[in-house]
Amino acid sequence: MFVNGEPRRVHADPMTPLSGVLREELHLRGTKAACGEGFCGSCTVFVDDDAVASCLVPVGLAEGRSVRTVESLADPAGALSPLQQAMKDNDAVQCGMCFPGMLMSLTALLETNPSPERRDVHEALVGNICRCTGYERIVDAALTAARAAGAAVEEDAS
Amino acid sequence: MSDVIGADLPRRDAEDKLRGRTVFTVDAAEGGLLHAALCRSEVPAGRIVSIDLEPARRMPGVRAVVSAADAPGRYGITIADHPLFAVDQIRYLGEPVAAVAAETLDQARAAASAIVVEVEEYTPLVTMAQALADDARDLHPGWEDYDVLVEGGRRGRNIGWEATVVRGDTDAAFARDDVRIVETEFVAGRQNQAPLEPRACVAGYENGRFVIQTSTQVPWSVRNSTARLLGVREADVRVVVPPVGGGFGMKFEVSLEPFAALLARAAGRPVKLVNSRQEEMQTALCRENAEIRIRSAVTESGEIVAREAVVLMDCGAYGGEQPFLTSMTAHTLGGNYRLGAVRLVSRAVYTNTPPNGAFRACNGTYCTAALERHTDEICAAIGMDRVEFRRRNVLGDGDLGSTGQVFEGDVLAPMIDRMVALRDSAAPVERADDGRLYGTATTVGTWFIFVGPSAATVNLNPDGTATLVTAGVEIGSGSTMQAIPQLVADSLGLRPEDVTVRAADTDAAGYDGGVGGGRTTVSLGAAGVAACDEVRRKVFDLAAEMLEASPDDLVLTDGHVAVNGVPSARITLREVAERAQQVSGPISGSGSFTGIGVQPMSGCAAGHMIGALDLPVFAVHECDVAVDPDTGHVEVLAYRVVQDVGRAINPRAVRGQVQGGVVQGLGYALHEEITIDARGKVRQTGFETYRMPLSGDVVPVQLDMYEGAPSFGPLGVKGAGEVPILNVAAAVSCAVADAIGRPVSQIPLTPQRVLGLVLGRESEGVELRHIGPGWRDNVIADPDELMAAAGV
Amino acid sequence: MTVPTAPSLYQPTSLDDAVERLAVAGPDAAPIAGATWIMRSPSRGEPFHREYVSLARIEELRRIDDDGATLTIGAAVTHARLAQALAGHPALEALRQAAATSANPSVRRQATVGGNLCARDFAAADLAPALLSLSARVVLAGPAGITTTPLSGFLAGRDNLPPGTVLAHVSVPLAPVVSAHARLTLRRAGDYPVAIVSVAATLDDAGVVESATVAVGSVEPVARLWPELAAAMTGRPLDADEAVRTARELAGAFTPRTSVEADGWYRLQVLPTVVGRAVRALESHGRDRT
Repeated sequence: MFVNGEPRRVHADPMTPLSGVLREELHLRGTKAACGEGFCGSCTVFVDDDAVASCLVPVGLAEGRSVRTVESLADPAGALSPLQQAMKDNDAVQCGMCFPGMLMSLTALLETNPSPERRDVHEALVGNICRCTGYERIVDAALTAARAAGAAVEEDAS
Repeated sequence: MSDVIGADLPRRDAEDKLRGRTVFTVDAAEGGLLHAALCRSEVPAGRIVSIDLEPARRMPGVRAVVSAADAPGRYGITIADHPLFAVDQIRYLGEPVAAVAAETLDQARAAASAIVVEVEEYTPLVTMAQALADDARDLHPGWEDYDVLVEGGRRGRNIGWEATVVRGDTDAAFARDDVRIVETEFVAGRQNQAPLEPRACVAGYENGRFVIQTSTQVPWSVRNSTARLLGVREADVRVVVPPVGGGFGMKFEVSLEPFAALLARAAGRPVKLVNSRQEEMQTALCRENAEIRIRSAVTESGEIVAREAVVLMDCGAYGGEQPFLTSMTAHTLGGNYRLGAVRLVSRAVYTNTPPNGAFRACNGTYCTAALERHTDEICAAIGMDRVEFRRRNVLGDGDLGSTGQVFEGDVLAPMIDRMVALRDSAAPVERADDGRLYGTATTVGTWFIFVGPSAATVNLNPDGTATLVTAGVEIGSGSTMQAIPQLVADSLGLRPEDVTVRAADTDAAGYDGGVGGGRTTVSLGAAGVAACDEVRRKVFDLAAEMLEASPDDLVLTDGHVAVNGVPSARITLREVAERAQQVSGPISGSGSFTGIGVQPMSGCAAGHMIGALDLPVFAVHECDVAVDPDTGHVEVLAYRVVQDVGRAINPRAVRGQVQGGVVQGLGYALHEEITIDARGKVRQTGFETYRMPLSGDVVPVQLDMYEGAPSFGPLGVKGAGEVPILNVAAAVSCAVADAIGRPVSQIPLTPQRVLGLVLGRESEGVELRHIGPGWRDNVIADPDELMAAAGV
Repeated sequence: MTVPTAPSLYQPTSLDDAVERLAVAGPDAAPIAGATWIMRSPSRGEPFHREYVSLARIEELRRIDDDGATLTIGAAVTHARLAQALAGHPALEALRQAAATSANPSVRRQATVGGNLCARDFAAADLAPALLSLSARVVLAGPAGITTTPLSGFLAGRDNLPPGTVLAHVSVPLAPVVSAHARLTLRRAGDYPVAIVSVAATLDDAGVVESATVAVGSVEPVARLWPELAAAMTGRPLDADEAVRTARELAGAFTPRTSVEADGWYRLQVLPTVVGRAVRALESHGRDRT
């Protein structure tokens, strides 16, 4: 398994949820496992190019594949990703448990749809529960990040 | 006043939370941890015949097994009725019977399931109607022998606590021939807080003391209740709290900590115990389900000459918060409006269901919904405009509350005017010709700040920065990591980033009532400001010598002590702090706070832990809905709030709390309900069937912050995080009733329930046969004695 | 009593290997593809099988083939990939909608066609009614070879398949139909629908229904066809209001299920409304086509 770009060998039984392996064995505790059933999205990671609920992925099925977690979004010593920065700037964060998953789901959205409408953001977050914020700032931040990226692309082009 | 107050300052904990670096209790993973699992009862009620722990002890990897014999105490808030493990009787499905620690979680779970529990089953009393039936079995046959921690509540049979309010001659008022009598019934479901971080803790046993890291809102209660349950000195329990992944009240009581503590002592190793989501669903300390009858006598001109109400609150198998929360009925259902005479009874009822607990605006959500629906029914009965009726009748300056306290200032009426202005300024809500039914409602709410004791220490460090030490926990609202350091920075003339916040630790900080009830910014804030006052005095005394000025002329600003009006005459706080090292030793200050102790009128309130409100808070909510008459779906089209915030020290943070609180309220009003089957089992086992709002289900809340209402909070602040959920169910229920043209008497308003109402299905009606017809039929106490005590 | 042994996972790369392994292991083993349903076994109180045989690395089960007459969908194709692939097949709009809106985005990227049709006790599967409405057949691989059977028969008998049987493909005839899928969730999205209706129809040039197939999911424990409603719609122009009225008259044919999220009466009561939504979508697809 390649985790955040590095080859990793894990020892867990093959039907162990990937979320558990990331957290317990690889100490990547940014990935949360709040519901264990694929409804809350707090465990969302990329497996190859797909953002999926890692609590529902048996680690055996991830063998040989590439896994990206929230810890990969920004260089540990460097700046936040534009999406993370937008969350910070929008004062979106409260308890913080849902954010790792929110960020991965929204990263997936922005990779496939760089200029989403509000509705698209809502649809992308159908599998992500936030119990604190009432969502609006998270959605605003996603749109802000998309607009900023769009503006940057335009600037590069001109 | 510095520019720190009223500023939209960023959160210091945001970046780590966004990077996935924040270590919550569920993330604890130090080496050598044992993992624990609970053996829970699989039946809801019965007599314990035997418990065989031996099979568990023989299982691989097991390091400790503990049960009732290891935990002699019982705890509670008013009545100590709750043992750690079931003793003699099982009272709910999921009740802990034993606990196991093993090398791995799988081993611990396997061992826990190997424990053999033999139970002679009883027919469970799952509903309040069953528990109140004349021939119902007593859930707590030994109730009279329990320790009474707070005096005053009547108890008996399956009523764990009864609180009553009597003010004025209600009988006479109801008998008047110029009044109309309006009666409303209301039933509210059970709501699970469902914080994304479940209850979790890690306990160790060091030097004869328990050291517990836990996901809690109340480190000091955990310390004290754990000691009580384990039969040790409170001083032998230390509680530390890292960032908490949401609480909303569920973590306002001891929960898993004593199990982990016992296991750690028995095993000689630290033990981690985390509830699975299924366990959280089965045993969450939910907002209680409630059943309400409310009756008012109103004149044609809209004067409420008398009101009486019965409120049944399901406390589940043990009392927990509910006996205490019976107090709130007086101020929520008995709040909002000027009443001639009033008579209330609020009863916490034992059932064979998981114990309930505290949830954001406890009791207030459903009492306000019942009251506001009742108010709309009054308006319909006398033909008065719903907003006008409220404007005329809401509590104002000098008015009496239900328990006779005198309210200060006109707040609600001007807030209603502000709501009208807010509505007029917003884009009108479109009512498409799409076959849906449209409705709107304006509701008012009365809440309070749960003040009470808090302590704070502020150390001025030699580098001129400050460290704030409190038992305040950061549960996500930002109060502890953002608002309180903001107050300290303002007081000491520092930048907020120069104020370090010490994580909550009962070994380091003085007593605190906990983070919740909107109290953090008020109580901890006031204690923090008081601590700063001491620091300021010491700084000024020293700096006066250094600057050759009078201490009275000094100010703290920009990290400097300056002579007021003489910009050049200043020295850095660091210089003063360094100087103190040589002269007096390091500078620190301590502060404390507890409230002002407003009292009810003599004889009016019995069984109340809160007889009157120290610091009331008001809210006006308005919403527009569309109801699909074919499917029963309710869409909230717009939501507006005018909230009494006292003073907004971080307006952006307040807005965040309001949006989040309203959305939790929308979940409560429309989707979220824990239901329990006839066998005592919670039917919603996870987030598949426990439906919380998702991003597409919500609307942006339009908020007008009402500042300037009376408040003794620091700088006039009031807590802003709890009250936003207060009248959401009220606003939605009233708006749906307006839309469908039929009474709404039950929440949540799921599509099925609303469609049932639209179709006039009888099964959607509410039947409260177990509530007697009048107030007198619903009190254990002698009604005439209560009347006499109140001078009637 | 002992600590249960962790289940093992066998990951063959050929269908034959998977079939053989499952046949040998018998009831101790089960196929697994996206894993989204099986990973939730513990929370449903179901023990894991002793072994799982993964279909995820079998190339032929991951393909979607179009030979002009039939679309053959591998059992290990995910909902998300299916939805993407169907963008160019307006006739299969019901299936596209079902694949694009079921569950939530993460689960759609993982959950497979085969899993959706094979998960017992999953009454609210979206693909089942959509594929039923499109007259899909399933291709089963087993020790005795390959068999093809109508989906409706498979759904009814899926509990009694001989060990070693793998749902390998679903084949959907590419007929000149218009189709639509409507689902009623309790929130806006994210929960399992309480009622699902998929409709496919062939229309003549005047817009009259020449033939129709209607399928209903989630109302009963297993998705099924509603031939009476289809017959009533045939020979008339598409008319959503009329379909609602007819559905209301004929709804007695269903024995609705009661579950935590909704009572039977509610499912039955809203079924005609969901029919109306599907037919209204069909009307608009029909207009788009002409």
